[in-house]
Amino acid sequence: MPTDSNPAQPSIVEVKDMDFAYGSKTALHGINLEVERKRVTALIGPSGCGKSTLLRCINRMNDRVTGARIAKGEVRVKGKNIHDADVDLTQLRKQVGMVFQKSNPFPKTIYENVAYGLRVHGEKDGEVIHEAVERALTQAALWDELKDRLQAHALGLSGGQQQRLCIARAIATQPDVLLMDEPCSALDPIATLKIEELIHQLARDYTVIIVTHNMQQAVRVSDYTAFLHLGKLIEFGETERMFDRPKEKLTESYLRGTFS
Amino acid sequence: MVDTPAPIERPPLRDLILRKGKRTIVGADPQGLIRGFFAANSSVTIIVLALIMIFLLKEGAGFLGTYKHELEIYRRAGLEFCDIVDRPLSEQQELSSKLRRAVTTSVDPIIQGVRARRDAAFLLKREVEEQTKLAREPLAAALEKEPAPAATELDPLRQQVAAATQQAAAKMNVPDVFTADEAKRLRDEFAKLTPEVSDLPPMLMELSAAFTVKDKEAKQKFGPLVDASDELEEAPEELRGVLDELKEEVLATKEAATTHFTLEEGRQKLLKAASKAKDPQEKEDLIKEADASKTDEPNYEESIKPVLERREELIGKVVAYAAAADAAAVNLPKEGGTAEATQLLTEVRAALPLHAKALRDGVESLRTWKQDKPVSIFTVIGAFFFGTSWLTNSSWQDFFGFVPLLVGSVVIALIAIVIATPLSVAAAIYTNQFASDREKEIIKPVIEFIQAIPSVVLGFIGISLVGDLIKEISEVPWLGWLPGFPIQERLNMFNAGCLLALMAVPTMFSLAEDALNNVPQAYIDASDALGATKLQTVFRVIVPAGLSGIAAAILLGLGRVIGETMVVLLVAGNRIAIPDFSGGPGVIFQPAHTLTGIIAQELGEVSRGSAHWQALFMVGIVLFVISLAVNGCARAVVRRFELPKA
Repeated sequence: MPTDSNPAQPSIVEVKDMDFAYGSKTALHGINLEVERKRVTALIGPSGCGKSTLLRCINRMNDRVTGARIAKGEVRVKGKNIHDADVDLTQLRKQVGMVFQKSNPFPKTIYENVAYGLRVHGEKDGEVIHEAVERALTQAALWDELKDRLQAHALGLSGGQQQRLCIARAIATQPDVLLMDEPCSALDPIATLKIEELIHQLARDYTVIIVTHNMQQAVRVSDYTAFLHLGKLIEFGETERMFDRPKEKLTESYLRGTFS
Repeated sequence: MVDTPAPIERPPLRDLILRKGKRTIVGADPQGLIRGFFAANSSVTIIVLALIMIFLLKEGAGFLGTYKHELEIYRRAGLEFCDIVDRPLSEQQELSSKLRRAVTTSVDPIIQGVRARRDAAFLLKREVEEQTKLAREPLAAALEKEPAPAATELDPLRQQVAAATQQAAAKMNVPDVFTADEAKRLRDEFAKLTPEVSDLPPMLMELSAAFTVKDKEAKQKFGPLVDASDELEEAPEELRGVLDELKEEVLATKEAATTHFTLEEGRQKLLKAASKAKDPQEKEDLIKEADASKTDEPNYEESIKPVLERREELIGKVVAYAAAADAAAVNLPKEGGTAEATQLLTEVRAALPLHAKALRDGVESLRTWKQDKPVSIFTVIGAFFFGTSWLTNSSWQDFFGFVPLLVGSVVIALIAIVIATPLSVAAAIYTNQFASDREKEIIKPVIEFIQAIPSVVLGFIGISLVGDLIKEISEVPWLGWLPGFPIQERLNMFNAGCLLALMAVPTMFSLAEDALNNVPQAYIDASDALGATKLQTVFRVIVPAGLSGIAAAILLGLGRVIGETMVVLLVAGNRIAIPDFSGGPGVIFQPAHTLTGIIAQELGEVSRGSAHWQALFMVGIVLFVISLAVNGCARAVVRRFELPKA
């Protein structure tokens, strides 16, 4: 599989020769992926190709699905195999935050939504929480809009605001990696644009892995792109290069839209 | 506008196809009929509900008028006048009995030793007599014969008695309150018992005398207390005398009035029948019959005169008695012989001045009381909704005050909800979030099965099992610090509340479980992704998000509990009185009656259309309104806090 990795930058997420299966059905075959620190990596591919499954392998969200398991290979975050016995799931998810396809703020106040992650990790100091909330909302470009109504109910926000609130909630605990599962698919174009801008800014502090259906979006936001097809990683490389000169035929036909 | 030739009207092809084979049944097409069938079914419920409401209102509405009429007679005949004194005076009996109890508990420790000896001895004597009954009876019968039988005839009988008695006396099981010597003496004396001698054996006489001496001594020791008790007992005698005479007078007036109105009602019916009768002969007969039963309404002004003439005399007695009650409070000794007695004395000392004051306050009302003051409809409404006594089939006056029933229903429902809420909500949380599929398969049907237990069966359990259990637990000495322990009544509000809680659990559990189930998966995903543990997710996200549904579940459980009848009727104790809240939380162990229970119990026994009958319908209406309000609240809660559709 052709990849162009940068040996100078150590990878933060490494997927090594991984097979992933739901029960007897193998969903991902021999995936190798090295995600570079503080870059945006996009996962693209047709529906059902396993993008989301791959994404959810990184924070072990698949654990809850009965029968789901890694059949072969391993996933490493910061060099540590995340399925090792001594890995604390809570700590892993503190390192690897996640934003979902549909915005899902809790039915609580804006403030409590952002503070939730800190609270479940045992933070009691109000001062610390307050600072973290302010920082997260600022990074999510929400602070100016919402600073006067932090005690308002989160479900009263607009769709785009709710999704950015979810991003703020995910980064409040300062994860290393931020997983985004089609974060804009339920949003209008303007809200989408705002989120994309936000992703650019987030890449300064976080490693972002984003699943997207929208190839323009992949071009706009990502530094690297991985193309998956039928559970296999077909091609992985710098976004610019891949969209200009795809090495694989399959990638080219998908990008051209002449996919069959 | 351009004139175009009108297009030829042609039914579209689709219609033609659809109409093919379409039949009509009695002029209507089958689809319409089917639709009509479903519509009719749904409207039946609405119509039935409307009919129920109309019926309830119709039966209940007459109540205010009827009760007003009864209260008018109550006032005009003068019963109200007597009650001004009688009501506060009734408290005296309770106070008096408390004092008597104080005396008993004070004296008891001193006399109980000698009393036990005396009682044990008498018991032994009775046992011996019982055991030798077969031998004694023939002798007793022979002795009564006239003329007296010859000695030869009596002697064998005497010997039989002596033999049997000696044997019984020897076998006697003498308790250890007697020394060995005393036991021997008892045996000797009892061995000589015979029906021919009616005098008690000397030892029994001695024991009785010892008791009398000790009793006297004890009474002397607590002389002031005994005197105070006697004084309070006798204090209202004169007042009672006057009052009873007056009560007799006014009751006669009331009975005359009641008879008059009953006859009048019959007469009106006869006249109505007469006006409809076709046959002139029959008509004449009916009118004659009606005239025969014609009575005059009693002249209230005249009949109240002898009562009012004694007004000042009555007031004088009231004042005198109040003074006596005050004096009794002052003279009451501070301490009794036991802690319990001292407690009783403290209570009585505190209550007496209030008692006297209540009576004195009545004096003013006695002076200003007028029989012709009209009874307003608000008085009647107040008498029902705020009346504190529900008194029926009384020889004096019936009262339909609904507060005691309401309080009973509400307290029982609250107890039930307080017990059922943690049970059902915790069970719902466990089943929904933690239980394995196998556990779910067991828990859910089992909890829902509780609903299938007939409430009357639960009533049995309450009477036979829970009641005894609570009573036994309450008698465990080291639990005595709990309020209300040890309890007096097996059947009480707590018992009923426990069983109702059991009945409410399935409803509340199912609804709460649904509420938790409806919490969108997205919230759980988000919480998991943030690294929350299962417990954190459950208690910080799922339960708060499902809280409105859980609140609605609790309210609907409340609705179920308020309307439940059989269990409360069997288990709540059915005492129609406002429970005494002065004892704090221990009040839950008192018996009470309920809105539902009273209807079930009394409706079958009252005459149709009477004030009592109508009052029960009013209770039914109130119950209906309460249930409606509770259900409305539950709906409002759900709507107010509804989560966005995921």
